[in-house]
Amino acid sequence: MKFVQLMAAAVLFASTGAAGAAPSAQAILAESDAIRNPGKPFALTVSLVEYRNAKQAGSNTLRVYSKADTESGQFRSLIRFVAPARDANKLMLKNGNDLWFFDPSSKASIRLSPQQRLLGQAANGDVVTVNLAKDYRAQLVAEENVADGDRQTRRSYKLALAAVSAEVTYHHIEMWLDAGNSRPIKSRFFTESGQLLKTAYYRRYQAQLGVERPTETVIIDGLDPNWVTVMRFDEYAWRDVPDLWLQRDYLPRFKPE
Amino acid sequence: MRSPVLVLLLVLATAPARAADADADAAALSLADQTTSTAEQSGDWRVYLETAAREARRQGAGLALHGARLSLDARFDKTFAPGWRAVFADRLDMNRMDGASGNREINTLKEAYVSWQARPDRIADLGRINVRNGVAFGYNPTDYFRAGALRSVVSLDPASLRENRLGSGMLRGQTLWEGGSLTALYSPKLADQPSDNAYSADFGASNPRARWLLAYSDKLSAGLSPQWLLSGGAGQSPQLGLNVTALPNDATVAYFEWSGGRSASLAAQALMRPDDAAFRSRLSSGLTYTTTGNVSLSAEYEYNGAALDDAGWNALRRGSPLAYGVYRGFAGNLQDPATRHSVFLHASWQDALIKQLDLTAMVRYTVADHSRLQWLEARYHWSRVDVALQTQLNTGPPGSTYGAASERRSWQALLRYYF
Repeated sequence: MKFVQLMAAAVLFASTGAAGAAPSAQAILAESDAIRNPGKPFALTVSLVEYRNAKQAGSNTLRVYSKADTESGQFRSLIRFVAPARDANKLMLKNGNDLWFFDPSSKASIRLSPQQRLLGQAANGDVVTVNLAKDYRAQLVAEENVADGDRQTRRSYKLALAAVSAEVTYHHIEMWLDAGNSRPIKSRFFTESGQLLKTAYYRRYQAQLGVERPTETVIIDGLDPNWVTVMRFDEYAWRDVPDLWLQRDYLPRFKPE
Repeated sequence: MRSPVLVLLLVLATAPARAADADADAAALSLADQTTSTAEQSGDWRVYLETAAREARRQGAGLALHGARLSLDARFDKTFAPGWRAVFADRLDMNRMDGASGNREINTLKEAYVSWQARPDRIADLGRINVRNGVAFGYNPTDYFRAGALRSVVSLDPASLRENRLGSGMLRGQTLWEGGSLTALYSPKLADQPSDNAYSADFGASNPRARWLLAYSDKLSAGLSPQWLLSGGAGQSPQLGLNVTALPNDATVAYFEWSGGRSASLAAQALMRPDDAAFRSRLSSGLTYTTTGNVSLSAEYEYNGAALDDAGWNALRRGSPLAYGVYRGFAGNLQDPATRHSVFLHASWQDALIKQLDLTAMVRYTVADHSRLQWLEARYHWSRVDVALQTQLNTGPPGSTYGAASERRSWQALLRYYF
């Protein structure tokens, strides 16, 4: 990951230093990816609290085991449901568009379509563990002040991200990155028709696995702004995630701790 | 260059929307500020208590029948030493019904086994294991250990039938590699007859004869990894099986499940008719489509080449009631359709209209006699409590697959508490 950051910083330095022009949008996007996502296989715990009309409507705890694919750069993840009790120890495997759900009680491995997953809470993981620089072409559209997740005004680069493949979840994204350090501040995710799907604020920066990372993401639904999901990340750890784990047949065997 | 008037109009038009967005964002961030939750931990046990009350009306006129049930369901899964894992799952159902004195208790020892993971890619298991193969929803021809596995049926929901059943005693080994695995298991004969004893481990039901199974899967491409199975045992010819799934588009999963091999027809086996062994196929194939409104719809075609054809089925219905009952009982014990062609429709809607409310509907249709089973469930859940209302309606002519059911309509209300 340090290598990625160094590369991104080098590109940033080269582009700004050489011509005094705006930094390479793609480079600062890559740098922001490296702030959100550890560069080696890792595990973390995600707590989700969901609000509807300002009232808590549900909560989940998930343990995520993830690694980036060496070819596509995208994350392949095993997600273990920890809470609530009804869902404890159920599993979800995400390996590109190969999505499986496993229930240890019925031993059923059920294949999911991307649409099925998109509608569940696990899809919010896409807002977090996704390498945007791999799937989107970034363009710097403005350098402007923006209110961050703590309502502080920050100088930011506003990027417009356009999908380079039809397989990605979001057609285009608006993203604001801190002009000083490329930290993600806020994103808005859109459909092809321009419909806002969700807005995400990245906040509570803390040192995790050697980098200051956002440990909370606040997600506001685009269609219903009264639907708010607060995702908190803790128990970060470097964790080997063998390729052996990332297949349907391993789901009944998965018992990592 | 844009006209200043146009720019002004654009600003005026978008300003209220932006202000509304900013307000919504500020409100959401304020909620996040107040959020105090911390990550929860899950234990080795998952235990729930379920209580249910039901009312049923018989076919034709008649008084309603009432019943009640209390169930305790426990599952334990623990790594007790590096590489060693113990799994135990058990369920106790206590039923009380009109016209019967006292409670009727049935315990189902679902699983009790030990796993040893000698290497990350080599695993052996010993004990009672619920081995369940098959990618279809309503009927699983490759679920070779389904025969005799149901000891207590509390719901006709296929998910409940898969979960609340006896595993089989066996020794199983598995080797895995990236994108695939090979499994071999041997399940010996452990007893002769099923037991009616409430607390019997009932190996007579789960292990009445020696059986074996090989399962092989390997990744052919990014989204395609078929599973091949070969199953056999005492008194049967080997059966070949195949499971495969694919994504025709982002919203649809297609699945295909097939099993075939030489076997006698169900009628010959059930009614002691002359051996008519021939190559017979069983098949279940369908699509699951998910709408943008979070409704998942499955349509499945089911074929049982060992069951009676339309003419044979209609002849049996009009013939000896004893032969009819024996045949139905035999097919039911195997969890096999009694007729050749069936259709299964399933719809589930999560967060239906209100958050935490799930609606599920199911229809089973028999082509030969046009009879139908219709099942509907509304389930609302809090963090530890589920409340559900289920109703079932059996329709069809007398002696048909569902018209012959003693109950025409039933209702069940249940409350489940997770400890």
